Amino acid sequence: MIVTVARTGGVAGLTRSWRVDVDAEPDTESWLVLLASLPWSEAPHEPAARPDRFLWVVTVEARPVREAALGEQQVTGPWRELVDRVRSAGTAERASGRGDRPGRDAG
Amino acid sequence: MTRHVVPPYLLARLAESGDRFDRAARAARAGLAGWEQLAAHRDDAPPAARPPRTGGLDRTVSDAEGREELPGRTVRTEGDPPTDDVAATEAYDGLGATHALFAEAYGRSSIDGEGLPLEATVHYGDDYDNAFWDGERMVFGDGDGEVFRRFTASLSVIGHELAHGVTQYTTNLAYRGQSGALNESVSDVFGALVEQHAAGQTVDQASWLIGEGLFTDAVQGRALRSMSAPGTAYDDDVLGTDPQPGHLDDLVVTEEDAGGVHINSGIPNRAFHLVAVALGGHAWERAGQVWYDAITAGTLPATADFARFAAATLEAAVARYGADSDEARAVEAGWAGVGLPLAGA
Repeated sequence: MIVTVARTGGVAGLTRSWRVDVDAEPDTESWLVLLASLPWSEAPHEPAARPDRFLWVVTVEARPVREAALGEQQVTGPWRELVDRVRSAGTAERASGRGDRPGRDAG
Repeated sequence: MTRHVVPPYLLARLAESGDRFDRAARAARAGLAGWEQLAAHRDDAPPAARPPRTGGLDRTVSDAEGREELPGRTVRTEGDPPTDDVAATEAYDGLGATHALFAEAYGRSSIDGEGLPLEATVHYGDDYDNAFWDGERMVFGDGDGEVFRRFTASLSVIGHELAHGVTQYTTNLAYRGQSGALNESVSDVFGALVEQHAAGQTVDQASWLIGEGLFTDAVQGRALRSMSAPGTAYDDDVLGTDPQPGHLDDLVVTEEDAGGVHINSGIPNRAFHLVAVALGGHAWERAGQVWYDAITAGTLPATADFARFAAATLEAAVARYGADSDEARAVEAGWAGVGLPLAGA
């Protein structure tokens, strides 16, 4: 099951994304625990965009696909834990989406 | 509102895990929600006006020491000597340079026009590759050392963040879509002018770059953005190519970045550049004056689109310099150059 976190905005306006296949991770069950704790129904309808703060979109390709869009200041609690974990364990995708460079996370 | 937060597919997976994750399964069934949803502050009224101050420059720099709590520990207040923290020094000096532009060029006392104390926090977060304005202060990360250096290293970025404060206290352009791209462009315009004013540069000497020097040597790029040539600031294997358009024909339609506010700002940025170069000399004196008048006139709606803003700049140029002036003509030509011809004075 693929989990993607995509980040836009920020003063540089760059698009960055990171993805992980939780089924391929050694600690799949702990991923599922974290995903199950995400408060999807309480995610904002529209992310609150503040000047030069990041905007995040969290997508979980479950059935159904779940997606939440959050302003940086709203990425707290389990959302923050998930974003940090995907950035750390996942693969950073090239901005153009041309393909993955495994293991590289340039921040 | 229902508290159904766990999709059936995930609940089924947890159930299969047996009692190892009993706590999580119970929590999932209870519909955990560990965070508050923050209401948008955008429609809040600005803070109540303070009594006017004399002098007007009152800076405080704080150190967040790698954490995300604000403001952080105070490390320098107005009149203190510099410490050996380069980021704190750059923030202090940058606050001063921004104050100086607005005071000397436009007679404005700080970002609210009433001597508001200027606040900055440095060393925010861990490998934090960003800077922002939080409604009360500018906040700077140290970069990640791979793609980005520390964000205080660019005076145009410092000016950009503080200019968000000026916008907040004046026209308060809504941070999405075209009004958001204008909000971003106003910050780039005055950020560039802070840098040019501090160096005493003419329009020909200026780089017209925003965030020059923030990238590490590993990145194929000069800056975050180019006002003179949107789309040319960087072209890198990992970061991609600078996506900014320089003409309305190339307006980017996207859900990302609040509707591409950092992308479509290239169009009004280039308009400003064209106006400045047509007039020559120091960009803050006439082109910058027109832009300043437009955002402080009090007639621009927060939801203004490019056309409305262009019209406001022409009104401002006519009001200050006259209908047949070089300035009014330059403003018309500048907007026409990016695909927004104006009806005429």
